[in-house]
Amino acid sequence: MNRSINVRLFGAFRQSHPESSLTVEIPEQGRVADLRQAMEAALESENARSLLKASAFATDTAVLDDQDPVPEQEVSILPPVCGG
Amino acid sequence: MIHVDITEAVLDPLAALSHCSSDAHGAADLFVGRVRNINDGRNVTAVSYDLHPQLCRSIFGEICAEAMEQWGQDLHVYLVHRLGRLAVGEASVITAVSSGHRDDSFKACRYLIEQMKVRAPIWKQEHYTDGDSEWIKGHALRNSG
Repeated sequence: MNRSINVRLFGAFRQSHPESSLTVEIPEQGRVADLRQAMEAALESENARSLLKASAFATDTAVLDDQDPVPEQEVSILPPVCGG
Repeated sequence: MIHVDITEAVLDPLAALSHCSSDAHGAADLFVGRVRNINDGRNVTAVSYDLHPQLCRSIFGEICAEAMEQWGQDLHVYLVHRLGRLAVGEASVITAVSSGHRDDSFKACRYLIEQMKVRAPIWKQEHYTDGDSEWIKGHALRNSG
């Protein structure tokens, strides 16, 4: 059984996907690594798929590791950061 | 005492210094990051900042708490970042710290800006005089993989 995860897009991901989020399916007990795999299939551009490799997933309070369970129905994908 | 925020409003250095003020503090440090008109040889006209608001506030708070743990729980600490499109010369970030003596303020203020740059979920898109725009490459937050 699968569940839907809404992934909020930021930074350079908005360039190839201006809709600001994507919905993907992962297994019910899926982990972040499963989400990463689902995102690779969902992203349309080669640049975005390349950016995915260097990107992290996060909730509103914490950055997740690939082995972490996906804790919520909505998470964010964070490309490499450069504030300031 | 910690103050963190993200805002679309113009940043005010005096507000930072007002927060970083105490009769017991003989030192206050202020850092202002501004949009530069050139990067990697390209002429920049503006920078658009995108960020994750909730996570940004959370990480700003963590960084400030770490600074207080390292340089003193009595510090007054301030970290605010702009959101949206900024023209050359506009302030994008302000960090400030006050403390009893100057060494703690200098070190803690630098800690805030350096940690913010590599940990906070903020992205910038530069706009150039030739009409092109580009998202700037940054520091990966990915922990494993």
